[in-house]
Amino acid sequence: MQSHAEEKSSTLKAVSQRVPLWRDVVVIKWVTQIGLLAVVVASLWFLAGQAGDNLRARNINTGFDFLERPPDIQLSEGIDTSPATGGRALWVGMVNTLRMAVVGIIFATVLGVVVGLARLSNNWLIKRLAGLWIETLRNVPLLVQMIFYFAVLTALPRVSLESGPINGWLHVSNKGISMPRIFISDGFYQWITVVAVGCLAAFFIRKQRIKKHDLTGENTHAVYWAFFTVCTFALIGLFIHPVFGFVGGIFSALATLFENIPTTLIKVLLSSILIFFAARWIRNFFASRRSATGHLSLIDDDIFRMIFVGAGALIAIIVVVAWTGISSWILNSGRDLFHMLEAKFEVDGAARPFDAMKPDIVKPGKFANYGTNGLTMGPGFAAVFFGVVFYTSAFVAEIIRGGILAVPKGQIEAANAVGLSRGQSLRHIVLPQAIRIILPPMGNQYLNLTKNTSLAIAVGYSDIVQVGQTVYNQTGKSLPVMAIWMLFYLTCSLTISVIVNFYNVRMKIVER
Amino acid sequence: MSDNETASSTRRDRDLTNAQDMIVCEGVSKWFGDFQALNGVSATIKEQEVVVVLGPSGSGKSTWIRCINRLEQHQEGRIVVDGVELSNDLRNIEKVRSEVGMVFQMFNLFPHLTVRDNISLAPIWVRKKPRTEAEEQATALLERVGIPEQADKFPGQLSGGQQQRVAIARALAMEPKVMLFDEPTSALDPEMIKEVLDVMKELALSGMTMMVVTHEMGFAKEVADKIMFMEGGQIVEMGTPEHFFTNPTEERTKLFLSQIL
Amino acid sequence: MTNFKDSTSTDQLNSDPAEAESSSRELPPKIAALSPSEWLKANLFSSTFNSILTVISVAAILLILRGLLSFIFNPLRQWSATATNMRLLMTQAYPENQYVRIWVSLGFLLFLAGVSLAFWRAGRRVQIAQVGKQLLAIGAFILLTTLLAPFSNKATIIWLLIGVFIIGVGMFLKPADEQKTVSSLTLLSGAFLLAILSLWVIPYGHHSYISTRTPKILAEPGTVAMTTKLPWTIMLGVAISSYFLACIFRDKIDEAKSKAVLSAAWLISPLFLLFLVLRDPDFDTGHLFSTDIPIFVFFSVVGSVLLLWLTKPEIGEKGRIISTAILFIGFGTFAISMLMIVRILTLCLAFFALAAPTFSGQKPARIRYAKVWIATMVILCWLITAINTPSTAKVPGDFFIGGFAITLMIFFFTMVLAFPLGVLLALARTSKFPIFRIISTTFIEFIRGVPLITILIFFSVMVPLFLPEGMDLTEIAAVTIAFIIFEAAYLAENVRGGLQSVTRGQHEAAEAVGMTNAQKTFFIVLPQALRVAIPPMVGQIIATFKETGLLAIIGIFDFLYIARSVIPGQTEYMGSTRENLLFVSLVYLVICFSMSKASQRVEKRVGLGER
Ligand SMILES: Nc1ncnc2c1ncn2[C@@H]1O[C@H](COP(=O)(O)OP(=O)(O)OP(=O)(O)O)[C@@H](O)[C@H]1O
Ligand SMILES: [Mg+2]
Repeated sequence: MQSHAEEKSSTLKAVSQRVPLWRDVVVIKWVTQIGLLAVVVASLWFLAGQAGDNLRARNINTGFDFLERPPDIQLSEGIDTSPATGGRALWVGMVNTLRMAVVGIIFATVLGVVVGLARLSNNWLIKRLAGLWIETLRNVPLLVQMIFYFAVLTALPRVSLESGPINGWLHVSNKGISMPRIFISDGFYQWITVVAVGCLAAFFIRKQRIKKHDLTGENTHAVYWAFFTVCTFALIGLFIHPVFGFVGGIFSALATLFENIPTTLIKVLLSSILIFFAARWIRNFFASRRSATGHLSLIDDDIFRMIFVGAGALIAIIVVVAWTGISSWILNSGRDLFHMLEAKFEVDGAARPFDAMKPDIVKPGKFANYGTNGLTMGPGFAAVFFGVVFYTSAFVAEIIRGGILAVPKGQIEAANAVGLSRGQSLRHIVLPQAIRIILPPMGNQYLNLTKNTSLAIAVGYSDIVQVGQTVYNQTGKSLPVMAIWMLFYLTCSLTISVIVNFYNVRMKIVER
Repeated sequence: MSDNETASSTRRDRDLTNAQDMIVCEGVSKWFGDFQALNGVSATIKEQEVVVVLGPSGSGKSTWIRCINRLEQHQEGRIVVDGVELSNDLRNIEKVRSEVGMVFQMFNLFPHLTVRDNISLAPIWVRKKPRTEAEEQATALLERVGIPEQADKFPGQLSGGQQQRVAIARALAMEPKVMLFDEPTSALDPEMIKEVLDVMKELALSGMTMMVVTHEMGFAKEVADKIMFMEGGQIVEMGTPEHFFTNPTEERTKLFLSQIL
Repeated sequence: MTNFKDSTSTDQLNSDPAEAESSSRELPPKIAALSPSEWLKANLFSSTFNSILTVISVAAILLILRGLLSFIFNPLRQWSATATNMRLLMTQAYPENQYVRIWVSLGFLLFLAGVSLAFWRAGRRVQIAQVGKQLLAIGAFILLTTLLAPFSNKATIIWLLIGVFIIGVGMFLKPADEQKTVSSLTLLSGAFLLAILSLWVIPYGHHSYISTRTPKILAEPGTVAMTTKLPWTIMLGVAISSYFLACIFRDKIDEAKSKAVLSAAWLISPLFLLFLVLRDPDFDTGHLFSTDIPIFVFFSVVGSVLLLWLTKPEIGEKGRIISTAILFIGFGTFAISMLMIVRILTLCLAFFALAAPTFSGQKPARIRYAKVWIATMVILCWLITAINTPSTAKVPGDFFIGGFAITLMIFFFTMVLAFPLGVLLALARTSKFPIFRIISTTFIEFIRGVPLITILIFFSVMVPLFLPEGMDLTEIAAVTIAFIIFEAAYLAENVRGGLQSVTRGQHEAAEAVGMTNAQKTFFIVLPQALRVAIPPMVGQIIATFKETGLLAIIGIFDFLYIARSVIPGQTEYMGSTRENLLFVSLVYLVICFSMSKASQRVEKRVGLGER
């Protein structure tokens, strides 16, 4: 036994201890990574240096001062067609893009669901038509479709004073499509406050009804009750909304408060929030790596992560403290927000929440055009709108069809077996399962739609890309404008994917 | 049957006291996050020895066997395989990997390659053998595990027992000095278990050093030179099959045996 | 019963509607059992709601069809704008006297296509009765539309006759035996034959480019047929005869090897055709012999010797250190001024050296590796020389080719180069190395977060700013790089899905037999991952093809741009935008639709092979 142990230790000793650096897997791993990082950073550095030299040689200045200068731009449509500054012009472009994206998402979803269900219909003709719709629209590039719709719209008859709106309601011409417009007017914000109170009431009523249902088992129609409550409040609100005029005073007080907070306070607040989060992260991190007996085992990746978080927090704090602009921007925008809200509520009691107007036609110069009364889609807007809606609807339809077909037949049979009606099984069995399959690709389509609105540049709709191009053609500031584009779209994409992920996670929890 | 009995008896008679150490573990510990899966495992396995590792589920058998092949990385202690220490040294890892064959519970055959390619791929690219030689070897190995006619099929077309035998052939193709088996029969139907065990017995007879995690007590009794019993990441008891099955010393072992037998 | 089951399963598995369509068309035994009235009742009037839907949609169809027909056959329509400018749409203003080069390229590609079809045994059997039924439907459709359309009497009669003829053929074929089938390839070539025959009969228009005149494009009706009918006939002949030739030869030679050669030919021949045949570089022999060939010889000789040594099995980590050193030298070359070709070749050599241990082995394997190196050198050196040499094909605009050809060219380059880049990105994103993951994820998410058009504009406007002194990149090249980067990010996500589907057991098994990480990736992980990633990747390829239309926005003369902006600018064809756009849509529709159909068929075949 003794000799045995000796022999063992001699075997162990015979093995060499030092590992040469170039054979050590940990060294290789980190040297490779740092090598790649160095190459990437060096190439970026090199390119940036080149760009800097070239820009200087061509006397191009890359500052953002154009945002404050008056541009010489006329926009085809938007909240402000002759913006006062470059920044304002880009802002109008952003609003236009967002407007198109939101409207497009709503309509594409509705149309896509209809087509998708039609594709599943047991009516032969409807099924074929839906198939034709899908196959044609998704196989022709969106850009070609858009340009085609634009060509069709601009080839329509001229708008003229003589012809007048069709029955005063709908008007289609080479200047686009004009419809009656319902818009919110002065009393709206007070009215919406009433509705908000109604929603709160509906929430409690629904809870009450559900409780009653659970206790007694009778059908209490909780959803209908809630809906009815909201409607009642909305209706009553039309007459009593001026009571909420006092809310304006609260906002005015808040605005004054924001005016008087010193920036240092905000700086301290932001820094403490950052420190708090970083500290909490690191504490949780240590806790997750520590065994029950307090044994801490960190691998090389963990150290890297900690360095990353620590450095990130430090840089963020330095930026917050050193750059007063951030704090004062927060204060100013808070103050402006409350001032704006205050203004919305300070109207006299007779104001209506809504108003409506029919389309009109004016002749400011040589040619007739639509006036501002109607809800007008210019040919650019209409082309982009029909383009993204039709194109996306084809994809959405396929997703809907796939999602519904993916629910196993056995599920429906099981639902029938326990005696659920067709509607009940659809609502409680099929849809919840289908939605889980449908949601992720739908989010993807919404992202695509938002990005696809950028093709508007081909038909002259003033979205952010088109406006940006005009701006840099005039000012030569191509680099800053492109940076703004990228930032804008990245923000949109990130927002949409955060929303979709949120729903995905929720759905999964509900499932379990 | 009688054939097997004679085989095992010849085996047990063999004298292993002067054999070289093949695997030496000394105080091997391993944590998964907070959880300690191995707690100072020390053991020596000699050349040509067949060791069966037993133990309840979650006792760390797989973790240990996978550490020996560097599929998991141990955090404390030392593992030396055939005089090569498993450390961060790339050359050592490569060497150990190519000297230790491993057979998995779920076979893990490469589904996109034919049986022949499954076996000859590693010899060609790791051992740098010429293709023709590697393929001849594959044919010979398939013959050895008893399925020469399946060479051109894909793994998905074979039964579980056949797949596991291909997996053994694949490991053998690297001409390993040690073979590790992690529950090679527990994903198989009863009638397929025997064909795999027969191959393993034949392998043991031929003098291969083997470390087997299994719940097949018959195999353990018949073939093993040594049995190790694990519990809670530690080796609780170690000894010859006779000793282990007839008069175990530890309470825990007795309980385990009473549940299993 | 089996039939019924089949159709539902395809319906569920395939997310494609037309697939279900075709399979339900294969339902005849069931439907044929129903009398027409029963069929109508079951499929169109099964309930009140359904009947209302049917009536409404029939009315809508008739209205829309009528409107469409009166649009198409309106005498104001200028369909001849498209036909007359066909050459402009396809190749922009490629010089008339050099046009034979285009035919040669096309002929070579068709030859390759014919041979490949034979070797991959493409085409499936179609029942003749099925063809008859389709013809019946087509004929009926023609009759219906003719009656609806505002035709002149003469035209009505001609179209009615055509419709009746087609119906007649359909009637003749329909009762054919179920066993009688015909290859889909035969049908396809039949259709092409008809189209080409029509060239000999119908006088389509033609345009020519005259640089001394304004407008520079002269459109003369009636001559397209004259210039293209003979070439097209020859093309069809080439395709068909190469198919039959290959059929004869395919049994006599090693099939696997010839398939590999064919695949390589598909990858390399477009480069060759583009740069040697179409562009016709004006090689400077002095420069060639003084610089290019010596560099080539140096790199092939030194490289092969080095690689022969590095692929020795016993070389060990010495090899790794040397290849890393070469890599550093490769990157270092960018710091000092020297010929670009030397930098590229050095980097290339470094990557070959890094991969050497993976492919090391006995003598034949090592020699094979050296041969691959020399072949790579040949292609690279030739390409770089050809690109840097001025072209003899002088055309207006800044590129030697335009129209549909440039769409295809950019599409080809994008696919060929984005694929490896995408795989690399995906590998980096799933790697065990955190910095790799961060770099790759940042890149992919950034690219996927912004629209393609902003990337295209960025590259076409900004690239000159980022280039060092003395180097320039044509706009086409810059845009192609933009496409490659964009598609690589999307392909990477598809490949990542595939990589994640490879189980941990596969990784462990590969490690257990002693494979290095590179070997594991190449031989075990990627083959499985790519197979899983094929369907989404094909979808992405189709999307890429559709996105090539964006070239028009940044002012490259692709065929959308020509259709939208150039042709309507010709005095003869003012306001013909809609007609041209319909043609463009049709081209895209046909190509994308058939790509997705073909991919589904291949997918099914691959899926069956797996079982
Ligand atoms: N990758 C891992 N991450 C976290 N815990 C793990 C991991 N692998 C194993 N474990 C844990 O380590 C313990 C030992 O696992 P191991 O697989 O070695 O058990 P075993 O003895 O092989 O059990 P069985 O007989 O069921 O295969 C188990 O409690 C398991 O939960
Ligand atoms: Mg286990």
